[in-house]
Amino acid sequence: MRKKPEAMEATIETRKTPRSVSFKKYYQLYLMLLPAVVFLAVFSYVPLSGWIMAFKDYHLGQDIWSAKWIGFKEFRFFFTGTADAWETIRNTVVMNLMGLFACLYISAAFAIFLNEVRLKKMKKFIQTASFFPYFVSWVICYMIFYAFFSKSSGVINQLLVSQGVISEGVNFLGSPTWSWWIMLFVGVWLSLGYDSVIFLASIAGIDTEQYEAADIDGATRMQKIRYITVPELKPTLVILLILNSGSMLSSNLESNYLFCNPTNRSTMETLEMYIYEYGLSQLNIPYATAVCMIRTLVSIGLFLIVNHVAKKYQGTSVM
Amino acid sequence: MANLSDKRRRSRGLHRYSTGDFFFDLFVAIFMIVVAVCSFYPFLYILFYSLSNVAMINTPLLFWPKGFTVEAYKLLLSDSTVPHAFLISVLRTLITPVCNLFVCLLAAFALSHQHFPGRGFFQKFITITMYFSAGMIPSYILMVRLHLTNSFLVYVIPGLFSVFNMIMIKTYIESIPPALEESAMIDGAGYFKVLFRVILPLLKPVLAALFLFMCVGQWNTYADTLLYNAGNKDLHTLSYVLMNFIQQSTSTAEQARERVGLNTVNTTSLKMSMTVLVVIPIMCVYPTLQKYFASGLMIGSIKG
Repeated sequence: MRKKPEAMEATIETRKTPRSVSFKKYYQLYLMLLPAVVFLAVFSYVPLSGWIMAFKDYHLGQDIWSAKWIGFKEFRFFFTGTADAWETIRNTVVMNLMGLFACLYISAAFAIFLNEVRLKKMKKFIQTASFFPYFVSWVICYMIFYAFFSKSSGVINQLLVSQGVISEGVNFLGSPTWSWWIMLFVGVWLSLGYDSVIFLASIAGIDTEQYEAADIDGATRMQKIRYITVPELKPTLVILLILNSGSMLSSNLESNYLFCNPTNRSTMETLEMYIYEYGLSQLNIPYATAVCMIRTLVSIGLFLIVNHVAKKYQGTSVM
Repeated sequence: MANLSDKRRRSRGLHRYSTGDFFFDLFVAIFMIVVAVCSFYPFLYILFYSLSNVAMINTPLLFWPKGFTVEAYKLLLSDSTVPHAFLISVLRTLITPVCNLFVCLLAAFALSHQHFPGRGFFQKFITITMYFSAGMIPSYILMVRLHLTNSFLVYVIPGLFSVFNMIMIKTYIESIPPALEESAMIDGAGYFKVLFRVILPLLKPVLAALFLFMCVGQWNTYADTLLYNAGNKDLHTLSYVLMNFIQQSTSTAEQARERVGLNTVNTTSLKMSMTVLVVIPIMCVYPTLQKYFASGLMIGSIKG
């Protein structure tokens, strides 16, 4: 305790000291920050200058400054030249938002009911099993969905055909009608265990007195869930919604590269895949860079919308 | 938690076990069985299929390997592609997380100090990068300019730092009493000495957890191979080889099979054996991963 005032005095003193002295005092901290700052400058900030390629007629291997200016031509083409803009932006937004909400609500429900399982070992086992898919890669995930949902050799289709439910296998992985539902299912399958751990933790934090009072009033288990657990989980849900909406910014090329094929392209292809196709397969760099810029704007827009809605919702639920 | 279930059990004694309770339990049981089966059976199915003699598979579902054989695995490992890709994957999985955590640790320790000139600027400079990215094409051009394409370094250098890991470590450092550092400083230690002698030993749990999570991420990713190293066969990772194998539905696997002339193995069972090979290492670290998660270590930091 005796040290504290001294420490405070020391900090006040450093504020008064001239810059050169404080640099000498803290140079080790600046040295520690140096690698991270250099890294981010090179790998996060410098690439932003590459956006200039969207406005120039640039080809790979050429000097960027000698390329001719073309203005907003590529943006105009993306929006008016084809139907690609509407389709890819729609697919990106719909799949991200559907995935985000479905994953959270289903894993909240899963956590609530898992909490009602009375056998401790059973509970542990189910949790362990449901958590595992979170750690496997997109390739393995695709392989599993291929094994179960492919048209002729998929387990589901074989079962349905052998039971006489349908006469011919449904093309889950290759038809535009199914792609959103498949991706929704993939998303829930992957993140159910992960998200539910967080919900379970907050269920464990709910005050037990509430349940005891409900017991005395003769509430059924369903009523206890409805009037105690669900309202108590709402703040956690909102926090997770905001946190997970940030991950919409991250790349989803890995999933789209596998699940997107020529037959379901119209509803499956997202902006990321489109950029890969045009930029790195067809080497149309200016066009792909323009789409990169649009993608960043779309994802920041999505993030802000979710943030806004969540804040509003939390505001009313707190009242 | 135990307290809660105890009290509930006692209070349940007050009420009769009604039909409503029965249907509730039934619903919970069905829900849980569906989730457990959906989550875990696919992996078992793939394992059983890969160990089966395909000529004997006559039902859509498998509950054990039919006509046990390891021919598919033998065939895969007879080629040098898979062992070499395995080596590359292991190297990147071990090297990148270590380098990353070192850089993150330094930055996190520096930023955990509240008073030094320019802290606010550095904090903003670092965290704001979480919310935007230039995108795939500018990054690709940058990698080409830095001569990182077609080299092993592309697996390491772009992964040297991540804001998320830094925040995790920083949150943890901030929970350590500052008196510890102050007393070391009074004894004449510099910041580096404090970090490596005093703080680092206390960070073991969070560093271990982050290390494992990063390893899994490194093991699983294939996008960087696809973008930057697709042309160099010596640098293909196991994930990428598997991806290629799955995408080219017939060619490579079928050729390999025809060369050997086996009929106990087909393309599908080869793909499945390959999948099993990629999953096994994750399965080995899975209990530890889950332990870290269940102990609330990661959740605490996410919430904070």
